[in-house]
Amino acid sequence: MASGRIQVRVPNDLWDPSETEEGVIANWFCEDGAQVEQGATIAEVAVEKSTYDVVAPAAGTLTIAVPQDGVVQPGTVIGYIAMG
Amino acid sequence: MPSSRKLTVSRAMSEAIAQEMRADPQTFVMGEDVGAFEGVFDSTLGLLEEFGEERVRDTPISETGFIGAGVGAAMSGMRPIVELMFVDFIGVCMNAVYNLAAKNTYFSAGNCKVPMVLMTGTGGGYNDAAQHSQALHATFAHLPGLKVVAPSNAYDAKGLLTTAIRDDNPVVYMFHKGLQGLVWMASPAGAATEVPEESYTIPFGEARTVRSGRDVTIVAISMTVHGALAAAEELATEGIEAEVIDLRTLVPLDRDTVIESVKRTGHLVVADEDYRSYGLTSEVITSVVEAHPDYLKGPPQRVAMPDIPVPYSRPMEDAMLPNAERIASAARHTTGRG
Amino acid sequence: MSATKDDLLWMYAAMVKARYYEDTMATVYMEGKKPKFDIGAGLVPGEMHLAAGQEPCAAGVCVHLRNDDTVTAPHRPHHVAIAKGVDLNRMTAEIFGRVDGLGGGRGGHMHLFDPAVNFVCSGIIAEGAPPAVGAALGARMNGRDAIAVSYVGEGAPNQGGFHEALNLAGVWQLPVVFIIEDNSWGISVPKSKSTAVADNAIRAPGYAMPGVRIENNDVLTLYDAAADAVARARAGQGPTLIEVETYRYYGHFQGDPEIYRPKDEVKGLKAKDPIDRLYHYLMDNQITDSSDLEAIAQRCREEVDAAYAFARKSPEPAPEAALEHVFV
Repeated sequence: MASGRIQVRVPNDLWDPSETEEGVIANWFCEDGAQVEQGATIAEVAVEKSTYDVVAPAAGTLTIAVPQDGVVQPGTVIGYIAMG
Repeated sequence: MPSSRKLTVSRAMSEAIAQEMRADPQTFVMGEDVGAFEGVFDSTLGLLEEFGEERVRDTPISETGFIGAGVGAAMSGMRPIVELMFVDFIGVCMNAVYNLAAKNTYFSAGNCKVPMVLMTGTGGGYNDAAQHSQALHATFAHLPGLKVVAPSNAYDAKGLLTTAIRDDNPVVYMFHKGLQGLVWMASPAGAATEVPEESYTIPFGEARTVRSGRDVTIVAISMTVHGALAAAEELATEGIEAEVIDLRTLVPLDRDTVIESVKRTGHLVVADEDYRSYGLTSEVITSVVEAHPDYLKGPPQRVAMPDIPVPYSRPMEDAMLPNAERIASAARHTTGRG
Repeated sequence: MSATKDDLLWMYAAMVKARYYEDTMATVYMEGKKPKFDIGAGLVPGEMHLAAGQEPCAAGVCVHLRNDDTVTAPHRPHHVAIAKGVDLNRMTAEIFGRVDGLGGGRGGHMHLFDPAVNFVCSGIIAEGAPPAVGAALGARMNGRDAIAVSYVGEGAPNQGGFHEALNLAGVWQLPVVFIIEDNSWGISVPKSKSTAVADNAIRAPGYAMPGVRIENNDVLTLYDAAADAVARARAGQGPTLIEVETYRYYGHFQGDPEIYRPKDEVKGLKAKDPIDRLYHYLMDNQITDSSDLEAIAQRCREEVDAAYAFARKSPEPAPEAALEHVFV
């Protein structure tokens, strides 16, 4: 089993949405279509001035679903990684 | 795995420091909020966690003390990287920089070395007013005995910082806050770049021609590189092909690259966020005119902060900064097309 | 306890006004900064340092001051400016960067100058202390009994300029009161990691002046200590150093992620809020009643609301106005 597509999500517990509703993608550290390694920091989410790194859940080819400056909430799918 | 990893300037700086700290136990960092806060402008990301409080030292708000201490530590064999949070704060500690760091090597005929990096945040554009927005490039470049670096992008930021840390001389490393890629401050798209994971150096005194063109040479540094590139795009639509040179270091200054370019284009614009008078812009123009008074076919242009304290209010600051519009306008003027 | 009813109510009003001002600013500052926080965007751009929780430091000292006394404030100046009587409309317009601002939009929130009440500030740590010494020197050289008060945070006593100022005031026996607002944080660095002594007041004898430490952000004990200090200064008996333990409810700047700070610290501080405590003091001692205090608070809120409305309506400056006033 080396193929398939896995979601890249903003973790559900990254921040408390009752305090700050939305965050934004502050940075993508890879281009759309880039090969990424599992565990690599691929994006950065900003919630006001706090920042959180998003790591690749698997190795494969990245598809970006939410571009830089796009609005996100905990749980938002921001991209996909095609494995294999 | 192809290296398509992009880093912000702040992450590139942090990586350079971490790699040098791993390689040399004499290297350490100190400054205000460099520990748990990881640098107010993110220049020390992850360092406290990896290296601990002994080598990543939060200091009191005592710049005279800890920058002077940096000089002493450097002369005793350490390689301190000292952060001055905002370059504007140099006012409280200038003596340690210009009377100690800059002169002790000379006083001792090179028998004493001061391998210290003073890294400091520069620049405006986010309405922080005149005590937190200056560039002050020339203030340091004017003082003999200091090397002065001001990167415009992440690739250069890492390579130049590595060179700075390994240099046996005092280096003032001036990073523009608006290029850091901070999540809370806008930065131009070209600031974050692909950055190799392995350590590498970029020699000081080698400007980079960022864009080739035959009609006018635009010399820039730090943030103005991005304004110059945007101006060049605009000028291209009008049939003016601009060559953009990123100086990368003020001291040493790569005069040859500028002169070689002006020889071909015959026109020169110099853009710098520092004050207009007695600054980098005049120095570059003079370097060309002094050596080759016949190269210029139009009046050379300075695009800089006017000789006023940086104003707070947005409409005022926006109009005073050396932005793409002002750079393009200067290029049209000197080429006789505006 | 020597405070008159008038002084107590004056301090209550100054504190309520400052608190409401800062809480309003916290909201206004976020206009145009959501969901993406860009420090240069929105109605009020740039850094914003708010002083909610630190009101006693302003009210308990400025209650003793006159218009002709000089106050120098640091980067977190609003509460002190309000207590000193800075024009609230023009101060707010300055923070908004508008033409009707105290500096026509040139200075912003860290650079408020109101010569009508001798108020100045600076965004550079400790750098208000030497100018306060100079203001006091000028008053004495002209035979006036005006004094100067220098406000700094607890990070500032680690700066050279602070010590040089104290020594000058001590050796020349000048009418200066040095106030240290100890909110225990210098951005992310706690006082225990930045300062060799827990109590900065003990440094005072080194400069031949009395030093006082006020605990618990208590406006009433500060009132007494400041009364003594101001009276001594005005009588030509020299300077005083007062450190006030105070609270910072907001981050160092608005948007500060505060990763360095224990999560429930602010909650604990708010449980002993100084305005609540003064309210209960006034009620418990039957100095006034709740309707009187509510009327005071209402007037303060209206004044602040009017200042914000004034600032919103004030036009933005012409860009070329930036070139004016470098010299007079």
